[in-house]
Amino acid sequence: MLARILSAEFLKIRGKMLWFLAVLGPLGVAGLQGLNYGLRYDYLMNLYQDDPWGGLIRDVSALTLPTLFIGLAILASMAAGIEHQTNAWKQTLALPVPKTAVFAAKALLNVLLLFVSSTLLAVMTIALGATLGFDLGDIPYGDLLQTLYYPFFAALPFMVLQVWLSVTLANQAVPLTVGIIGMIVAMFGSRFDDWVPYKWPHLLNGAGEPLYSVLAGAALGVVLLLAGMAQFARKDVS
Amino acid sequence: MNEWILQTNGLTKKLGGKAVVNDVSLRIRQGDIYGFLGPNGAGKTTTIRMLLGLAKPTQGSVHIFGKELKRERMAILRKVGSLVEYPSYYGHMTAYDNLEALRRILDVPRQRIDEVLAIVRLTKEARRAVKGYSLGMKQRLGIASALLGQPDLLILDEPTNGLDPAGILEIRELIKSMPQAHGVTILVSSHLLSEIDQMASRVGIIAKGRMIFQDEIGALRQRSQARIRFSVSEPEAAWKLLLASGYHADWDRSRLSAEGGDDRAVAAMVAKLVEHDFAVYRVEEENASLERIFLEMTGGEGSL
Repeated sequence: MLARILSAEFLKIRGKMLWFLAVLGPLGVAGLQGLNYGLRYDYLMNLYQDDPWGGLIRDVSALTLPTLFIGLAILASMAAGIEHQTNAWKQTLALPVPKTAVFAAKALLNVLLLFVSSTLLAVMTIALGATLGFDLGDIPYGDLLQTLYYPFFAALPFMVLQVWLSVTLANQAVPLTVGIIGMIVAMFGSRFDDWVPYKWPHLLNGAGEPLYSVLAGAALGVVLLLAGMAQFARKDVS
Repeated sequence: MNEWILQTNGLTKKLGGKAVVNDVSLRIRQGDIYGFLGPNGAGKTTTIRMLLGLAKPTQGSVHIFGKELKRERMAILRKVGSLVEYPSYYGHMTAYDNLEALRRILDVPRQRIDEVLAIVRLTKEARRAVKGYSLGMKQRLGIASALLGQPDLLILDEPTNGLDPAGILEIRELIKSMPQAHGVTILVSSHLLSEIDQMASRVGIIAKGRMIFQDEIGALRQRSQARIRFSVSEPEAAWKLLLASGYHADWDRSRLSAEGGDDRAVAAMVAKLVEHDFAVYRVEEENASLERIFLEMTGGEGSL
């Protein structure tokens, strides 16, 4: 059932710029780093002479977090907006589908799009490194995938939260405001206590184990998803 | 299973403490075109939302196909097609893709899309983005969406709202043809009595959240029998005289009227009045139209 709703969701976002945004995010991050390296190539290469790939990955990841946070808010809002625009909720929810599945499909759609973005960023980072003449034999794949996918999972609660807000509130100004403030707060996330979710995508914690941040994010994401599904199924459709 | 395909018992919805729908008991029979009438804001759409599980009743129950909606929502909705208020559509997609998005969820064969497009005569326009459609075409697409799952019960909320006369005629003919052609039962709501009068076999009238009439359309028409109005000197005394003589007369302190019979009865009443020295100024036939009855029943708030 979920698969069928999801396939309808993917049909609906055609021509709605969601795919474009999903590509634009990583392209922007890689492009900005390309510019950075292009302008001060000699300085940076001198700085990272022992580990050019490591330096590049760190630079890329510095831009990834804000991009991820603003991207998840915009994607959630646009995906929900497709239904809000002509109030298509009532049509979808009068179909023989569990209301919980409708909510889950929206959330999953956003998670999948962002997963594609993260994957694209990995590919583009390698491409950028290759263009800069780094040795392709030295690519630290483990580090690269960790740097890109760990924050993705640690940011799951925010993806679900934005979907929830965007779906529940017809006025998208509220979820977008929350999303933008969230992006700013997340940039300073490393200063917070360990329990603050905004810190998790930075993968920093007292134990020094990034995986803890990832697990906390994934767990809270699932909890929020279940809560959102329950609330969505209960409320009356306007 | 009893004879009712749709049955509600004491359906009530309270919003902010106020009962928007109050103790409504709908009864719809297989093959009916059920006209659900009421002025704007009477609770029609709220009732329909509850029938579709979009809103939860504060009290009361809904049974469709003999099953309780609360318990078997999925099984019921599989056989129900609906169009609630203005049509829902995805403007950036073509009509075909709009139906395809629904088809993927309903899991019906792909050819069904062409079938419903043909029924609402949108086949030629199917590859155009819906945002460029006229309201009538969007409304037809809405009906096509409702028909996609081959429903046994079709719930259409104000399907002719906002259409021009040609569009109204088109939708009306479409609705009228459906029970025979596709064997569906239809619930159609409207605030226009004339609309319902032209398609419905049964009517329910709702006003201020309460069901005030529910019967065959013929029963409503019977109420529209002509009455004879008299303008006479001393109408109150004349009224007493007519009553005493065995006629069904009414006096509401401004008008004297009597149930109109055949010509001979009217003549006899006039003769009686003249005999007793009342001056008869005028004798008029008053054709209470359906609209008048509707207005009277809904407390004059009906928008017609």
